[in-house]
Amino acid sequence: MGSLSFRLWATRLRALLPCRGAFLAVGVTLLLWASAGPAMAGPAPQPGAGPLVLAAASLQESLNAAADAWARHHHARPVLAFAASSTLARQIAAGGAADLFASADQEWMDSLAQTGRIVPGTRAGWLAGALVIIAPAGSRLRLRPVPGFPLVAALHGGRLAMADPDSVPAGRYGREALQHMRVWDALSGQIARAENVRAALALVARGAAPLGVVYATDALAEPKVRMIGVFPAGSHTPIIYALARTTASTHPDAEAFRRFLLSDEAAAIFRRYGFVPRR
Amino acid sequence: MALCRADDPLVMSALILTPGEWAIVGLSLQVSGCAMLAALPVAFALAWLLARVEFPGKVLVDALVHLPLVLPPVVVGWVLLMAFAPTGPLGALLERMLGITLLFRWTGAALAAAVMALPLMVRSIRLSIEAIDPRLEQAARTLGAGWLNSFATITLPLARPGVLAALVLGFARSLGEFGATITFVSNIPGQTATLPLAIYAALQVPGQETAVWRLALVSVVLSLGALVMSERLMAQARGAPRGAGGTAHDV
Repeated sequence: MGSLSFRLWATRLRALLPCRGAFLAVGVTLLLWASAGPAMAGPAPQPGAGPLVLAAASLQESLNAAADAWARHHHARPVLAFAASSTLARQIAAGGAADLFASADQEWMDSLAQTGRIVPGTRAGWLAGALVIIAPAGSRLRLRPVPGFPLVAALHGGRLAMADPDSVPAGRYGREALQHMRVWDALSGQIARAENVRAALALVARGAAPLGVVYATDALAEPKVRMIGVFPAGSHTPIIYALARTTASTHPDAEAFRRFLLSDEAAAIFRRYGFVPRR
Repeated sequence: MALCRADDPLVMSALILTPGEWAIVGLSLQVSGCAMLAALPVAFALAWLLARVEFPGKVLVDALVHLPLVLPPVVVGWVLLMAFAPTGPLGALLERMLGITLLFRWTGAALAAAVMALPLMVRSIRLSIEAIDPRLEQAARTLGAGWLNSFATITLPLARPGVLAALVLGFARSLGEFGATITFVSNIPGQTATLPLAIYAALQVPGQETAVWRLALVSVVLSLGALVMSERLMAQARGAPRGAGGTAHDV
């Protein structure tokens, strides 16, 4: 009885030529769903891949260069994932199985340390950054950031490009430095807030803003801008990139690559990109 | 026309994707394709429920289904992270029961894409189910067809244009998914770094304009193709609402 009704049903299915595709699709879907479980359960994403490093977006060029150097020593090249430090820190806090974390500020590293997500002895205040004033490459302007320096006059009615001082670390440091120099209040309404420091850099490189405040590393990376002045280190909270190994780390190379990043060889690479390695 | 002669070696080398770019395109297609396969049965069930069944709290279900459409994608990504991370309630369950990890994996990117595409898919399928005369299904039932039979021979075939449009539209939406993906599963090359994330990464590096242009062009071509296909399927569904009338007649 059961088999008869099934056969009837199957005949009807076959009679419905135009919708065979739909049934095929449903069948394929069910098949894939059934096979998806074991496929997703596979442990390592890529066999033979290096450790997974989550790093602040501003480290993109320099860390890639360091990873290349590490790979030249016959190690598997680490897998580098770049995004905002905050985004990455939340993923590690949620239990993400990354090996190393390179944060653009200490606060996120602090919060991970408090919840036991990083191995305490592996944390290092690794690189220091400098804050600079930039202008388009053709500019002849010179501006030494000292208290009360004529920044507003140098803008000639244009805007000062910088990362959003309310939400982005680079913008926060910039506001501190400008407040220290007592020019922040005079600037009100003349700030072009960018969603990140690289967007601020692009505003100056494209001539949309006559001046900008970015990291020295950004200024070095963009040939269309010129560094016209450096803020003294005491004018803002120290800009420290922190590096640590996560407690979830399982890759055998993770610790070795972390040590490599702190080595003299890596220091030379990061110095080339405008960072100041700390010992 | 002389500017874009196909046999010009310069043009050809500019048009051919590098292996790295192919990997990004392949990953994007894999993530979007799997997102569609995973989302389709769910979208169809929800669409059928919303189109055909009256139940208490229907407004709420309707609103919940539409949430990913109106919420900022980063919020969706954050909610997914909270739920599906190894420490999240669902993530812990998946890990313990099935050994599945979604965080930092392409499967997680597919989940994010599926969730973001679901509202569009449900809307499209729901419209096509609502356009089916319920009396056709009732007629099949009076002629002795079981529920499953009438569903398979009447509802499913007649809803086909909506289902196809949902797939194509959802696919296009998945290809462009950025905010939920980077918030949930990060930007891992070869795993979760799909086209939009690769473009974002290239945008952070000065002097990478060519790379940005190439990847942007690829995503424009892929998305346009999907959208044009979806428009054609929609037009087909509108132009011939009884196009499968012969099928109904068979029963």
